[in-house]
Amino acid sequence: MPNNTIFNLRFTVYCALFIALIIIGGYISIPIPVGPVPITLADFFVMVAGLFLGWKYGLVSVTLYILLGALGMPVFSSGTAGLAILFGPTGGYLFGYLLLVTAVGFVSGKLRPSFFSYLVALIIGNILLYLAGVSWLKFLLNMSWASAAAIGFFPFVIGIVIKIAVAAALGCALLPRFRQAMVSASAQQSNTGDE
Amino acid sequence: MAQITFFRYIHKDTILHRMDPRLKLLCLLLLSLSASLAAEPCHYFVPLFIVAIALFAARLPILALLRDMWFFALLIIIVLVSNAFNVPGDPIPEQIFGTKIISWIKLPDTLRYPEFILQSVSVQGVVAGLRFAGRLILILMVCTVMTGTTSLLAFKNTIEWFLRPIPFIPEVRVATIINLVFVLIPVIFDTYTEMMNAQKSRCVGLRKNPFKRVSFIAFPLLSRTLRRADEIVYAMESRCYSETRTRAEFRTNKIDWLVFSVCLAILLFVIFISE
Repeated sequence: MPNNTIFNLRFTVYCALFIALIIIGGYISIPIPVGPVPITLADFFVMVAGLFLGWKYGLVSVTLYILLGALGMPVFSSGTAGLAILFGPTGGYLFGYLLLVTAVGFVSGKLRPSFFSYLVALIIGNILLYLAGVSWLKFLLNMSWASAAAIGFFPFVIGIVIKIAVAAALGCALLPRFRQAMVSASAQQSNTGDE
Repeated sequence: MAQITFFRYIHKDTILHRMDPRLKLLCLLLLSLSASLAAEPCHYFVPLFIVAIALFAARLPILALLRDMWFFALLIIIVLVSNAFNVPGDPIPEQIFGTKIISWIKLPDTLRYPEFILQSVSVQGVVAGLRFAGRLILILMVCTVMTGTTSLLAFKNTIEWFLRPIPFIPEVRVATIINLVFVLIPVIFDTYTEMMNAQKSRCVGLRKNPFKRVSFIAFPLLSRTLRRADEIVYAMESRCYSETRTRAEFRTNKIDWLVFSVCLAILLFVIFISE
């Protein structure tokens, strides 16, 4: 789409922005009162990327995030990197991010924008994410479903609920303004940026 | 945070700064592969030694870098402690090299269970923690050297060069995105610290409700960074950003190939030693 330059440039910058946010989200962790496992904000920003960018550009940014990590940049949560992490026990979650962002972007794009449609999209995405993560854990470490879920799912339940609620609220609060900026940018593509 | 030195380009004139960025990226790949393949903590010594030499050769401000890395030091300590206590395995032997460990640690009488603490620490846990620490330190050092000696433009051109033969990938756009990520990370960090300081001075830290805490971080951070991203879009537009550009030229000399072969030798050494 060569005639759609502003629109593309905007999405190029937004893709970069969400990759940077996902990377930083891996470093920011919030201690929760119930357990030793902190909430990493990386998957939260993956959800937000799905809501804001839609499935196509969200998928692009998560793919590039994984590519950067595979190249050896310390971008995965708490500064790890490399193919060993990608194909290690927690790699299922990293590939699950691809499913998460696609599902969230796709479902929220199909439904009418409202708090509940974002909620539905986020819940479907999270089910896919943890299915991928837990089954990867199970088959890689040869565990039973129960013990894999005990490591890979139950400590995070409270975190998931908080993140889904905040992400949906965030979508309600900021998405209309964001979409408006998008639409006005693509509308005025002929007369370059006289805002 | 604005003066943060790691993952930032620092202009000097050394062998590593002049090196062909394409080979430098391959070296990064080789070294991070060897970091992930090394099985025992002692196998990290050779790559660590070589990377430390590279850090000195690049004449980067090492003290300032160490000061900025306290965050990772904290992380390493947490992982070491949690691994030592949580990984199941054999307890630490009571005697190492003929001396009792217990006699090293002199605790006040109020803490009278040093034996119990030592018994709950496992050898496998300590080894696993050290392995994580070695891997993280190696990756961080390699990345510091890489980003400290390669300008963003050179990095972008390199990614573009590597993606060129792959079909159906808009290599210029992908290179721009990756370039922008490195521009945006310090920007977001600055925004984050600014915002946290503002909130701290208004006593937001006293709130314990996790919903409130996450939303107090997420809302302003996202709306501010989105505004910053808009500014970047306008800046790029007004400077006539376009995806059709002159292609960059690279030059490779013998020293570059020498550095590359050293990295390859490290990888082969690690593969050989772990088998």
